Amino acid sequence: MVTLTPSIPEEPVPDGVFNALYQFQVSFSFLLLSAIGLAVIFGMMGVINLAHGEFMMLGAYITTIVATHGVPLVVAVLMAALGVGAFGAIVEILVVRRLYGRLLDSVAATWAVGLILSQGMLILTGPSMQGISSPFGSFAVGQTSYSWYRVALGIIAVILLALLYLLFMKTKFGLRSRATIQNPSIAQALGVNTAGMYTMTFALGSALAGLAGGLFAPTATIVPFFGTNYIVEAFVTVIVGGANALLGTPIAAAFLGAINAALGTQYGLYIGRVGLLLTTIIIIRVLPDGISGLLERWRMRPSGARSRK
Amino acid sequence: MTSETPLLALEGVSKRYGGLRAVSDLHLVVHRGELRCLIGPNGAGKSTVFKLIMGFERVSSGKIMFDGAGIDSWPTWRRARQGLSIKMQIPGIYPELSVHDNMRVAAQYHVGGGQIEASIDRLLARVGLGGMGGVLAKNLSHGQQQWLEIGMALSVNPKLLLLDEPTAGMGPGETEATARLVESLNADGVTIMVIEHDMTFVRQIARKITVMNLGRLFAEGTITEIEANQAVTDIYLGRT
Amino acid sequence: MRRGASLLTAENVAFVVFLAYLLVYPSTTDEFSIGNTAYFMAISLMALSLALIWGKAGILSFGQTAFFGIGGYVYGIYTLNVLGSGATWIGILVGVLAGGIVAATLGYFMFYGGVNDVFVGLTTLALTLVLQTFMAQTAGPEWAVGEARLNGYNGMYVPQISIGDAALYGKPLYFLYLAILIGVYLLLRWLSGSRWGYGLVALQENRTRTETFGYNVRFMQVQVFCLAGCIAALSGVLYASWGSYIDPSSMGLTAAITPVIYVAIGGRRSLTAAMISSMILLQLSQSLASSAPEYALVIFGVLALLAVLFVPEGFMAALFSAIDRALFKRSRPDRGVGTGDVTPGTPRVS
Repeated sequence: MVTLTPSIPEEPVPDGVFNALYQFQVSFSFLLLSAIGLAVIFGMMGVINLAHGEFMMLGAYITTIVATHGVPLVVAVLMAALGVGAFGAIVEILVVRRLYGRLLDSVAATWAVGLILSQGMLILTGPSMQGISSPFGSFAVGQTSYSWYRVALGIIAVILLALLYLLFMKTKFGLRSRATIQNPSIAQALGVNTAGMYTMTFALGSALAGLAGGLFAPTATIVPFFGTNYIVEAFVTVIVGGANALLGTPIAAAFLGAINAALGTQYGLYIGRVGLLLTTIIIIRVLPDGISGLLERWRMRPSGARSRK
Repeated sequence: MTSETPLLALEGVSKRYGGLRAVSDLHLVVHRGELRCLIGPNGAGKSTVFKLIMGFERVSSGKIMFDGAGIDSWPTWRRARQGLSIKMQIPGIYPELSVHDNMRVAAQYHVGGGQIEASIDRLLARVGLGGMGGVLAKNLSHGQQQWLEIGMALSVNPKLLLLDEPTAGMGPGETEATARLVESLNADGVTIMVIEHDMTFVRQIARKITVMNLGRLFAEGTITEIEANQAVTDIYLGRT
Repeated sequence: MRRGASLLTAENVAFVVFLAYLLVYPSTTDEFSIGNTAYFMAISLMALSLALIWGKAGILSFGQTAFFGIGGYVYGIYTLNVLGSGATWIGILVGVLAGGIVAATLGYFMFYGGVNDVFVGLTTLALTLVLQTFMAQTAGPEWAVGEARLNGYNGMYVPQISIGDAALYGKPLYFLYLAILIGVYLLLRWLSGSRWGYGLVALQENRTRTETFGYNVRFMQVQVFCLAGCIAALSGVLYASWGSYIDPSSMGLTAAITPVIYVAIGGRRSLTAAMISSMILLQLSQSLASSAPEYALVIFGVLALLAVLFVPEGFMAALFSAIDRALFKRSRPDRGVGTGDVTPGTPRVS
């Protein structure tokens, strides 16, 4: 439950440091995994997928159902990613594609999709489902025990980021998608199938959401409103990070993760969330393009005799 | 037709985007009643100058004086109410509104309630769209849309009207009609500054021409002087 | 009076019929239905608030529910602490003001900070969720403002609007709510036809261009956001005092979704369509709630999705336009906006 009294760590200093690092890592990976799918879609298309939380929910449900039938967790999570990715492609083709020039309407439409998904899941499977437990067990440092799974999530988050970097920087798909982000009309003139690009990007973002949902499934209760635990944090991270999903999102996740961890351990979950929100409002005011905007401006700073045409 | 204080004066104006100098130390003066053309090769900084005058961008350094007042820190809407009006390259009409409502939106802050309908009718006739008030703006031809926009730009009773490539996409007939329109507006006392690439159009209307290159003022003079200036031809042909 | 403007539009006719029906309704039915319809009217204010901010100004705010909750809770806090015959009436004002102040502050932060479009939606959504989270954990006795215990999900008891010592209920309450609803509606209709209203429609299409015509766009955005916040807060006040109760679920996700859905289905661009269709949809959702509760939201979700995709101005508003074209042989000539404020049926770039 939420408490406002600061929790005073009882361990000697080295544990305190480890605890802080652990909390930070948990927050960071939580934010990054929640946000990365949303950020990829937003960075490419400017679309905010308000069904993101429900996509995560779908991933959690798929993972749980499949894992309960004996499939190893890793496979279950990957199946969730593939399943939600395919679903995302369908949503893009049927809904989002019709709303390219109407960004606000795409927000409303994806919200409606999310509503249909969560209510639909409620009707189909009832108010909750038997969950799965997190693997790997726990370890102790000093007086406190920590979960190996959470540490694994942190590692997975970083690996995922690296894979995405490789995808966007080193593959043809990545090159085409970066071209489309920068200048869709020219990309199209050069033969890039921009419509197909958008569908694949939306599918990728959805798959990442499904993946995150699957990864979080062992740590949370499986309910149709599963996504509501993550959407605020996801949106906050994307806002602060800006349109650059590869750089902005992780930096934002680190920054916000630090704040959330610091406030959260001191003052409890609720204040942690408030801290995130207040930070967001300030960042939006001061840095409207988020951290990505900062990076852009830093890249374009005047330097000696350099001139661009 | 010059008076003591210039209507518009850019003093040492520069605009930097990161490492790129779009405008460098520009000194530009426009007097009341002028019809000035601003020309120059692509990337010369002409559109940036308009953006700075209207307040879409802030100057990196220098001052902009309009009608005696320093306006470089003013927001766009305040400059508009002072008498600055612009027709930009990107279409600036409201496609989903009728022609009449487009004019109404533009005119509201400048014309009183009782006179607004008469003013709209008059201006529409002026720009060649008389009687078309009910048409949806997006159903107009490209040239008609440009004229509508000029009509809207005029609705604010501007002291200085900025036109950024008003004949872009127009055929020779429409271009000539636009030239006539611009001249008659100027004859009525509207100071006008035009960015143009179409030299036929420029020849039809020009009194004084300012040439920019690489963000700087390159040359100024009458149409005859500019056309005789070899250096100007050179910069267009990239021989600098 | 605008030249050639006619009051005989499908929309205006619908409004007159709607008003007449609501005036006559109480004499034809029982106490419970009267009270129920009063509740619908209180909630329909939310639809008006959204039609204003989203339909007119193009600002998609998910935060109207936050102001709804602020209005209800502040009214409750005030009236629990300040007693006396006029207190509930002043409480209404205080609740509305509280919503307005928060809205103005948030609006300033957003619009003067260059936050627009999608980010407004996100920021307001976040605000709503955090307010809900905050209120949810106020169950303990230490969470009280003076005499008013916030009570978390146990809910806060809220005094009803009263004259003297007598709480209003039944027909008097019904007619009070009707008067307020119609009053707000007429105010918004009047504003739509004003310079300010035209300016809002213009800035929805193109902010930068509109500024070049002398409109202080950012200030106008704050103004409309504040006004919409006041209306949403008023809705919350009327809701809270009607049921004598408020709890954090009134600020939850479902509560945030519902008015957006109603307005999307019925009529975002038309105040009349938004108001009438939200009354209808509220009735519908109540009927469904008894027979098939979970399906209500799914059905509405699908309808809203279809509306956004294919009939963005809303089904009822599109109906008004169609009737106008067919029956009154008018293709919305000079008046694309302002009179009757129904924009023609083509999907609009937003």
